[in-house]
Amino acid sequence: MSTAAGQRVTVHLEVNGLWREAVVEPRRTLADLLREDLDLTGTHLACETGVCGNCNVLLDGESVRACLMFAVQAEGRSLLTVEGLAADDGTLGDLQQAFHDHHGLQCGFCTPAMLLTAHEHLREHPDGGTDEQIREAISGVLCRCTGYEQIIASIRAAAEAGP
Amino acid sequence: MKPAPFEYHAPSSVAEAVALLGRGDGAQVLAGGQSLVPLMKARTVRPAALVDVNGVAGLDAIEERDGALQIGALVRLQALVDHPGAARSHPLLREAVRHAGHLATRHRGTVGGSLAYAAPWAELTAAAVALDATVELRSPSGPRSVPARSFFRGPHQTALQPGELVTGLSVPAQPPGAGAAFHEVSARYRDYAHVAAAATVAVDPAGACRAAELVLLRVAPAPHRVDVSGLVGTRLDDAALGALDAALAGLDPPGDVEVSGAHRRRVAPVLARRALRDAFARAGEHREAA
Ligand SMILES: Cc1cc2nc3c(=O)[nH]c(=O)nc-3n(C[C@H](O)[C@H](O)[C@H](O)COP(=O)(O)OP(=O)(O)OC[C@H]3O[C@@H](n4cnc5c(N)ncnc54)[C@H](O)[C@@H]3O)c2cc1C
Ligand code: FES
Ligand code: FES
Repeated sequence: MSTAAGQRVTVHLEVNGLWREAVVEPRRTLADLLREDLDLTGTHLACETGVCGNCNVLLDGESVRACLMFAVQAEGRSLLTVEGLAADDGTLGDLQQAFHDHHGLQCGFCTPAMLLTAHEHLREHPDGGTDEQIREAISGVLCRCTGYEQIIASIRAAAEAGP
Repeated sequence: MKPAPFEYHAPSSVAEAVALLGRGDGAQVLAGGQSLVPLMKARTVRPAALVDVNGVAGLDAIEERDGALQIGALVRLQALVDHPGAARSHPLLREAVRHAGHLATRHRGTVGGSLAYAAPWAELTAAAVALDATVELRSPSGPRSVPARSFFRGPHQTALQPGELVTGLSVPAQPPGAGAAFHEVSARYRDYAHVAAAATVAVDPAGACRAAELVLLRVAPAPHRVDVSGLVGTRLDDAALGALDAALAGLDPPGDVEVSGAHRRRVAPVLARRALRDAFARAGEHREAA
């Protein structure tokens, strides 16, 4: 496939279980596609250079920085964003409820990325793993509020509550 | 923070990718994008065209043959960390590359990108030099191989010619039972290394050092291989390691906005000893397990 500079292309991708499409320039990032074209503003942007991790989404189950991928690179792939964690009627998922119960958020800016990163971690370590493993998992997402302890407690609680 | 417009190509074969790169119109390879995309957003680089190699067939495998490894350029850094065969045959790769940024970075960042970008902190470059690996390249005029020990020329400077594609890294078999260790110091957890040390040590049946390699990052323009042949025959005790001080005394590391050269000179011998000692201890464990 080749696209001239400025030319738009149609991208098809599965987001939270639904096939979606958008017509974008190749320079459109995946994060901007989600936020601007699909109106899924739960994916937050801060540094936009890969450092802070606040834009983490799961691409075919693996955490990636949505700010460092071009939308065209997600053609045919499957994405999970924070909007996919709650039930259709808005009832919080268990992990989200654990963050609520254990004060795993304050301003909430990092929360979507923390939830998805924790979701990935719990899939690999259903029993929660060690505290060190939880710290390692979330070490790529910056939180300016909580001091992280309550986030670790929330993930631990979600693991103990079981799947 | 949006990249300037570019022509976008997504070839599906090496031949197609190399033909696009060979047109000489300033097209740049896009692999994991973990280094290139931030630069494009800052508009530090403005490639007229991108050749996205993520869909190129045949570059994403790790193959083992007689103890040697052939690693495709598109292998993600985390796939290398997670590969059980590579961890067994070349434990230094895993020890080194697990420090390369965060999990999400390593899910996208590639072996070829890390070698081509040749960042002074890139852990994989130190491992490639320590293991005497060879970088495999392809251009319209054909394939070419360059030993890692001459591929890296300085920060972000390599033997790569304009329009050339890195296709893989081949890593020769290591002495059986060699141990490996990697240590680095950075300002924040998993941030870019200020100084790093990669070491491998193989021991003889009596438990003495038979062969050793030590490579330091950020003490010289390129990954720096230290002559540690003096350790052969020893058990890496204090006296033997003391000889290292002479080998490291001549280092004149560069300073930068983050840390001074003097700091690097002070930290490097500490990490060097730590890495060599750990590698030696692990070699001993292999010997006992065997
Ligand atoms: C927050 C953060 C932290 C990081 N920390 C570390 C770290 O601690 N250690 C570390 O080593 N790295 C780190 N990285 C960088 C990361 O490892 C990159 O993935 C890597 O340096 C480049 O690989 P890439 O596949 O992403 O390449 P890209 O970003 O796609 O490309 C980088 C450059 O290499 C060229 N290139 C890529 N592939 C090829 C190829 N096959 N042939 C020829 N040229 C090619 C591109 O044209 C470009 O110039 C970090 C990145 C981020 C965002
Ligand atoms: S916004 Fe993507 S990593 Fe900071
Ligand atoms: S809750 Fe505010 S940034 Fe984490």
